[in-house]
Order: sequence, then structure tokens, then C-alpha cells
Amino acid sequence: MTLTLSDFVTRAKIDRATLEIWIEEEWLLPRGRFDTLEFSETDLARAQLIQNLIDDLGVNTEGVGVALHLIDQVHDLRRALVELTRRRRS
Amino acid sequence: MKDPYEALGVARTAPNEEIKKVYRRLARKHHPDVNPGDKEAEAKFKEISAAYDFLSDPEKRRRFDAGEIDASGAERPQQKYYRDFAAEDGDGRYASGSGFADFADTDELFAELLGRRRRSARGADLQAQLAVDLLETITGASRQLPLPDGSTINLTIPPGVEDGQVLRLKGKGAAAPGEGSPGDLMAVISIRPHRFFRREGNDVRIDLPITLKEAVLGAKVKAPTPSGVVVLTVPKGSTSGTVLRLKGKGVALPKSPGDLLVTLKVALPKEPDAELEAFLATWSPKGEEDVRKEFAP
Repeated sequence: MTLTLSDFVTRAKIDRATLEIWIEEEWLLPRGRFDTLEFSETDLARAQLIQNLIDDLGVNTEGVGVALHLIDQVHDLRRALVELTRRRRS
Repeated sequence: MKDPYEALGVARTAPNEEIKKVYRRLARKHHPDVNPGDKEAEAKFKEISAAYDFLSDPEKRRRFDAGEIDASGAERPQQKYYRDFAAEDGDGRYASGSGFADFADTDELFAELLGRRRRSARGADLQAQLAVDLLETITGASRQLPLPDGSTINLTIPPGVEDGQVLRLKGKGAAAPGEGSPGDLMAVISIRPHRFFRREGNDVRIDLPITLKEAVLGAKVKAPTPSGVVVLTVPKGSTSGTVLRLKGKGVALPKSPGDLLVTLKVALPKEPDAELEAFLATWSPKGEEDVRKEFAP
């Protein structure tokens, strides 16, 4: 399912200006560009993660980028491990 | 929910600032996205975030301390965690292979598993309408197509292209947001009709008017084809609707070109022709046939 920009800001409970900063920082990488951006459920969950990082974990702006980068790498490794496990079984 | 003070492990007298500090420390430890493989993390985070939401509301905290309310019903609405999506991550937009370059360099297996994902989000595919003349779709053509970045590209329009068909120009779409490859440019063909040629798949049709004299006596007439004028033999006694097939004069497919189908239309003189009328008035055809016999009841 894809969300338009206005659907996305409503569901993620953020304002447009904040979203623009997040995209500029490459914390979010929606598809499309300018006025035709398309957001996925993954983007929505990631926006909630960013909000959690700031509001709940107390991570500052600089830290959010670092945290996301490390989280992305953890998921890359986890996917690689899953694939390795799958191949070893087959 | 159990006692929110217990959930956070703070004293009932703890000031708001301390509660916030403790909560954030616990959240950093237990947030499900910081513990992607830990199924328990979600329940723990739910508990401490509910406790914190409760205690950070001064009114709720006061009434709880006074014994007026308990802490039930304080849970946050069910949240979806990023880890559940990242595990699937269909298109790898957020994958960051750069962190494993050292592994990828030394081991083929790791290179395959890790190295291929490198901020791999592709740029967006862009769409452009491309109006082409029907003739161009018959003979094929090449076109200068302006690109979004201001440059142009030479686009070959293959013979036989259909209305609405999409020509995909790899890598000519929008640049990628990260380090991925650019998207594609999708040129959507819309065909402008021709004054007298029509296409039926790979065959081309044309209606060719001939005079009554040419129809009756036969003639050699000039006829347009997509590749130029040819001389066409109209057989003696051709009637309106007779179709002549010119092999290979249709859509110029290299292996099996289409045909040109010429439908003859007998055209009577525009002005009444006294001579013709006089002749026909006296003309009595031998064995007149019933040309409308198929409509007979």
C-alpha cells in the first residue's frame, strides 16, 4: 500500500516541514519526487521509530542519523544471516 | 498494568526530571527496534512507556498517589515497529551495504549477501508522453527526446509500436535519493492518426478511389504506400470493396513485414456526365444479375 504525502503526515502525526528535514537527512527515502512522493508502510514504521528515538529514547538530532544507520546495518546483517541459514539447510 | 513506579523502578517521591531520565535509559535499552531479535522487548517497552505516559501526566500521577485511580488502561495504542518491516524490506531502500565493504572484498559469499545492497534504492521512474505519427510506427523512426535534466536523447521508434506502448529508457529517469542507480524514463507512445493510412496490427490499410472507367477496363494507377508511391495494376472489372494486397508494404518489421491492403472505391464523376447517362439509358446488360440477392427474404 502506498501513501501520499498528505496521508503520510496525517498518519505519522508530523508536520510537512519536519518531514522535509527527515527526507533531506535521508532518514526517510520515499519513492518518487517533489509533489509525487509515495510512502509505504515501511516508511510509516520508520517515521514512528524516528519519533521514538527523539521522544522516548532522548536521542538528539545528530544521534538519530547514527542510530538509523546502525539499525539499517543490523538489519542487513540479520537478512544476510537468514539467507545463510536458509542456504545451509537447503 | 502494574504499579508504574515499580515498572520504572523509581521511588514514589522521585521528581519528574528523574522519572524522565530513568524512562529514557530504559527505553534505550528495551525499545524493540534496538533489540530486533528480542521478542520480549516489545512487552517490556510497552510496560515502561505506559508507566511513563501515566506518570508524566501530573494530574494522573497526583490522583494515583492519592489512591483515587489505578494505572489500568494506560497502554499506548498498539504500535508497529520498524523491525517488523525491515526484516522483509522488499526493495532494500534502507539497506546500507557500505558498512560491510571489508567482508565483501574478501569473500564472494559475503559480497553477494551484503555487498549488493548499497543504498540501493533506485531513482523514480518518470513518464513522458511521446506523440508519434502513424507513418513513423510503420517505417520506424528516430527521435530527439528532451530529458528532465535538459539534455536530449536519441530514441529509436521501432516499426510496429502500438498506441499506449511504453518504451523504457534505462537509467534516464530521476536520480536516486541515495547511491542507487537512477530510475527509468518511460515514454508512452500515442499515435497520431494519418490522413489516409490506417493500421491493423502489422498490416496497413488504405482506401484508393478509382474511376468507373478504370474499374471496368482495368488500369495502372499510382498508389501511395508508406514507403513511397508505386504503380498499381487495377484488374479489369474491379468493383468497390475489392482488396488488393501489396506484400511487404505494411509495417516494416525486419523478419516478417506486414502487407498493404488497398481497398478500391469506385468514384463516379462529381458532375453529372450526360454522355454516360445517355449510354447507360440505352445499355441493357446481358443476363442482368441480382446484385442484392443476399438481402432477398
